[in-house]
Amino acid sequence: MRVIKVEETQIASWTRTLLAQQRVVAVQERDERFVFDDLHQAEDLRLDHDVTLQPPLRHFLPEREELVSFDRPDRYAPVEPDDRPFVLLGVHPYDVAAICQMDAVFAAGVPDPHYNRRRALATVVACDVETPSGNVFAGAMGTAVVEDGYDVLLTRIGRQYLVESRTAKGDGLLALFGDDVEDALPSDLRRREAVWRRNRQGLRQHALACPPQALPRLLALSYNDELWQERSEYCLSCGACNLVCPTCYCFDVQDVVGWDLKSGRRLRLCDSCMLEDFAKVAGGHQFRLRRDRYRHRFYRKGLYTPERFGFVACVGCGRCIDSCIAGVASPVDVYNTLLERHPEALEEPREGAGARSLGQALASLLGRESAEEAASAAREPVLTLRPRCEAEEPRLALAKAATDALEVEQLVAKDPYVPGQAKILAKRALTNHETLYRLCLDAERKLGHKSGQFVQISLMGIGEAPISVSSGPDDGPSFEIVVRRVGNVTEALERLHPGDTVGVRGPYGTAFPLADLRGKDILVVAGGIGIVPVRSAIQEVLWHRGDYGRLTIAYGMRAPQDRLFGEEIEAWQKEPGVTVLETVDHLEGLWHGQVGPVTTLLPSCGIDPPTTAALVCGPPVMYRYVLADLIAAGMEAGDIYVSLERKMKCGIGKCGHCQINGVYVCQEGPVFTYAQVKNLPEALQ
Amino acid sequence: MKKPRVAIFDFAGCEGCQLQIVNLEEELLSLLEVVDVVEWREGSSEKSPEFDIALVEGAITRPQDVRRLEQIRARAKVLVALGACASHGGVNKLRQRLDLGAAKRIVYGASAREAFLGSGPVQSVDEVVSVDARIEGCPIDSQELSSVLRSLVLGGEPKTPNFPVCVECKRAGNVCRYERGEICLGPVTRGGCGARCPSYGMWCYGCRGSVDEPNIHAARAVLERYGKTVQELEERLALFGSR
Repeated sequence: MRVIKVEETQIASWTRTLLAQQRVVAVQERDERFVFDDLHQAEDLRLDHDVTLQPPLRHFLPEREELVSFDRPDRYAPVEPDDRPFVLLGVHPYDVAAICQMDAVFAAGVPDPHYNRRRALATVVACDVETPSGNVFAGAMGTAVVEDGYDVLLTRIGRQYLVESRTAKGDGLLALFGDDVEDALPSDLRRREAVWRRNRQGLRQHALACPPQALPRLLALSYNDELWQERSEYCLSCGACNLVCPTCYCFDVQDVVGWDLKSGRRLRLCDSCMLEDFAKVAGGHQFRLRRDRYRHRFYRKGLYTPERFGFVACVGCGRCIDSCIAGVASPVDVYNTLLERHPEALEEPREGAGARSLGQALASLLGRESAEEAASAAREPVLTLRPRCEAEEPRLALAKAATDALEVEQLVAKDPYVPGQAKILAKRALTNHETLYRLCLDAERKLGHKSGQFVQISLMGIGEAPISVSSGPDDGPSFEIVVRRVGNVTEALERLHPGDTVGVRGPYGTAFPLADLRGKDILVVAGGIGIVPVRSAIQEVLWHRGDYGRLTIAYGMRAPQDRLFGEEIEAWQKEPGVTVLETVDHLEGLWHGQVGPVTTLLPSCGIDPPTTAALVCGPPVMYRYVLADLIAAGMEAGDIYVSLERKMKCGIGKCGHCQINGVYVCQEGPVFTYAQVKNLPEALQ
Repeated sequence: MKKPRVAIFDFAGCEGCQLQIVNLEEELLSLLEVVDVVEWREGSSEKSPEFDIALVEGAITRPQDVRRLEQIRARAKVLVALGACASHGGVNKLRQRLDLGAAKRIVYGASAREAFLGSGPVQSVDEVVSVDARIEGCPIDSQELSSVLRSLVLGGEPKTPNFPVCVECKRAGNVCRYERGEICLGPVTRGGCGARCPSYGMWCYGCRGSVDEPNIHAARAVLERYGKTVQELEERLALFGSR
């Protein structure tokens, strides 16, 4: 680390030198506000800005970017990346903190190559705030000043700037000031300390009535507070708060195709969890109403992200307050009101206090006890606002790869957004609405899925849809999916024939843990097309018949003509120790079986709680009743497995669409134990 | 693959949406590679008994329009409402605010009683027949039309955007019109236009109609917050027949 002292005029000449060498994205004035944009002349640089309209995140996760290029029907390729290094100039400390958070998010699990590539190409030049914006509260969030996460930090002291280099990249930029620059004196550093003290105190246009570390506890206590309904009545669901947020990273994916009807691009666009269709699935079920959407944003910032990553995902930039014309987006306002109603959030948590159940439910799903433990897993002593930038490893690998053509090729070959190819081997209509497809990956590669997992099926130019794998895992190089025609992709799939190609990503998500259930009786409860994902488990149990006790299948459907796998069901019934019970909701046509909801079958299932594991899958409305009956029959919540459908899009825990509270269904689901989800209010509404 | 046959029809409207098709210019040639335009009064002299895709522009105002539209529906596999007039009545619906006789006298003076001016209530296309897709806007965005057509030809079902203009306005990095002291209909208006008006320095006029579930209560509160009246908002909403 080196700190030098330069004149204001030297900043301008240094910027000119930078511009001559590489792309510079810098803060400039536009329409009486400030933006990060490509800098064309050094004179346009502004370091006295209050806040930019859009966060610098847009230069790592653009509002619109190409993910995949394709030639219909069967060629997909990663897009040619823009591999120009660039300097991001004028980043305020709270935005540096946000960048560190996003680094952690996009490096976690399956790293996102697009974000990481841009991040690796960037040199971040931060600058301490000279002009506080009207709604900034970074002081309250501990992000008014940052001590790392940048390459260079500029701090104005009087008519001079202190320039600190923090990294090797930063040293390179510092060297551009030339040889005859002065090192900062201890007295200069003291003046810088004074700037920092002033900003820590000054960047508080709104006062948060608790330390940010108390927010997860506060939110755990406030889930059913009336505030969510009261405030959401004023929420326009316009998405502005998300779309200007430096820590909002949800995205939507869309295909565009050219006039040749062959070549096209798969795009991702910044999305917003406030929008009406954000969590709506192809079948039309709306998983989050306006109130729930309004609440979700605050919970992602103050509870879900802390539980997962160990940091509060609000850095106090105030952009959401600036942009909400309804005046209901302010986190400080919401948190302070909740604090008045739940002052116990400020007390030390008592052992076994029930109020934290939501947070605990999420933490235990993530394999952790609490947010504090999540923080320590991130090698931080306490819950923090700003993770250290430890996303270095994948980023450095990418940085290196960016300079090495061969490695780039390998890297993009692993791009998680580029589908593999699969051929349709067979197609069979099961009902008027559902069709079974047998698919085989190219080169007879095995899918390698487990029972209960799903894949993303792509029809380039139309889109992508999450579909459960319906065949058991030992089924050779091919696998089966069953598709109900409810959306664009599934309708278009219907027009394909054996020999045609589709794109496949995956398998994704959790599976029914059948290996752990050996020796148990297996009870399958399926409603409607819920039979599709559990069929994989049924097949697996049948293939290893001797490893399991009784197999009982309770299958409810709307009407007889909706019955799936009819012939197979007859064959299952003939296997030793297998019982299939069926019922229809509506008696239409020929039916000799039971009439009524699937729960009417449960008393006849002969459930022996200690030796039984239940696998449950069906429409959202079914779970509450079936689970209540299974518990009433004496089963433990840990022995009941549910498979939950949500709007899975990216499959790798990034896009945000499939979340149940803080849980990514594509990562921690779709198969959960009832014990895992019973305290997640959004799971089984 | 046989090229889908496209027919274009117009009812009460300014023909500006059809003009947007002409405005595709070079893209028109690409379009004609992909579809056969079999009937289009503004662009071709041919007529066809049947077609795969009907693009219908304009609002429905006379009994003979209703019959003609029903015939078009019967001949079309897919019917697309083109523009604000077809989608929700558009500026034609302004007339609904007046007594019909009075409106006719204002517009036609002494000729108002002529039989050929048999105007009745203004209806959007979907108030008369079922509609498979809507392309909103006054006028339509020609790029949106071309992507809807490509999607239909590929066998997709074009989705009418259901997010407010604010989404694209924020993505565009615009300063909010409310910050400028203006009433903007963006927060309740269906997007898909790329926030064109705000990006060029105007408020949103609401030409694409409202999103599926506009929060009217919130919109009223916003007006109050910015010192505007509900009447000002309603006048804006009325322009394009928003419902």
